[in-house]
Amino acid sequence: MKLSKALLAAMLTGITLQGVQSCTKDKDGPKKEEQDKENDDKGKPKPPTVPYNCPACGMG
Amino acid sequence: MTKLLATAACNLDIDMLNACYPLFEEERVQAIEWSFDALFDRGVLPPWFEGLLQVYSNAKRLIGHGVFFSLFSGKWLPEQAQWLETLRTTSRRFPLEQVTEHFGFMTGKDFHEGAPLAIPYSATTLRIGRDRLKRIQEAALCPVGLENLAFAYSMDEVKRHGDFLYELIQPVNGFIILDLHNVYCQLENFQISAEDLLSLYPLDKVREIHISGGSWEPVESEPDRRIRRDTHDDAVPAEVFSLLDMAIDRCPECKYVVLEQLGAGLQTAASRQQFYQDFLQMENMLDAKNKHRNGEAQNDFLPFHIVSNEPPVEDAQLYQQQRELSQILESDMSYNEAITALNQSSLAHSEWNMEQWHPAMLETAMQIARKWKKKV
Repeated sequence: MKLSKALLAAMLTGITLQGVQSCTKDKDGPKKEEQDKENDDKGKPKPPTVPYNCPACGMG
Repeated sequence: MTKLLATAACNLDIDMLNACYPLFEEERVQAIEWSFDALFDRGVLPPWFEGLLQVYSNAKRLIGHGVFFSLFSGKWLPEQAQWLETLRTTSRRFPLEQVTEHFGFMTGKDFHEGAPLAIPYSATTLRIGRDRLKRIQEAALCPVGLENLAFAYSMDEVKRHGDFLYELIQPVNGFIILDLHNVYCQLENFQISAEDLLSLYPLDKVREIHISGGSWEPVESEPDRRIRRDTHDDAVPAEVFSLLDMAIDRCPECKYVVLEQLGAGLQTAASRQQFYQDFLQMENMLDAKNKHRNGEAQNDFLPFHIVSNEPPVEDAQLYQQQRELSQILESDMSYNEAITALNQSSLAHSEWNMEQWHPAMLETAMQIARKWKKKV
């Protein structure tokens, strides 16, 4: 299916500049070192988080 | 036979979107499957992702794939009501061509965490599953479907899964997602032929097919054996492409063929290139198949009637059994300790038929539940 050039450009910018992830109900939880860093960074803007596996996408 | 659409599973995940981007650029992605409930805490979509969803929705090429509803929880939970409300809102904003969920119940303590695992095929679970599918249909106002599960405790479950799916979807004129990697897991783990297993599924109810990759895991109970798991973190195996070739012609109502892979498995240039190649291989196969499909559907999978206002079906005993099982699976018990605990639980000598569970599969259930247990 054809997407407009404007949308493709916006997607490329978004993908390049934004750290985004799916499945963010904390079910896989951050690792301890990530949690420690998060505690240190309380009050600061959240940095992009590391994507992780999602159980029902890949229920294994 | 309906025409087949080469579809990508596409969520708000940078690695997944990075892998899909060249396919979008080359106008190859004919539909997208979006796990609309995988955002929860974030809630806000970036405008460019909204734009992507809107374009596919306007073209009637956006399909929804739920993850966290936990269809067979014995107790109706507030989170399920909230999930339906989110679905209702989402599907008004981005009209979906269909909505699907996974088979099973979530092992996590609030049933929206953990991993989905099998349930007994009983009159109780049938009533609960049918009730939940009606509620999903009422919220989304579109066809609803269920995906076959990769996991099974026993050969008996493997053989009865297709029939049970059929019974579940009948009242809502629903459909089945035939996940071929899940089928592959069962072929490998239970040593059954593809011909035999596919013959046990109501293939005329398949509206969507999934293909993906997975991994092999050792089990201590059988050291010389590996269990195939549906981890979605690797390329599509040749065996799954063969299954696709074999299954499509038997699925006259199939419309969407979806390539799924987790973002975590798409972090290198090589893995993204492999994803691209897998999509092209799928697309080529669908193009060839479409030459012999005239595009006519026999079933629109739309509901027969609107849901009544009856209270949600619940079963306190099933809920208790699910809680006990989750606790055992997620604990740090050894396999033998888990067996002892199960024998002393309310699951013993019940419809769960746990006395027939295959040791390697119980061990695998323990591995899966522990892998996805919420870390606090």
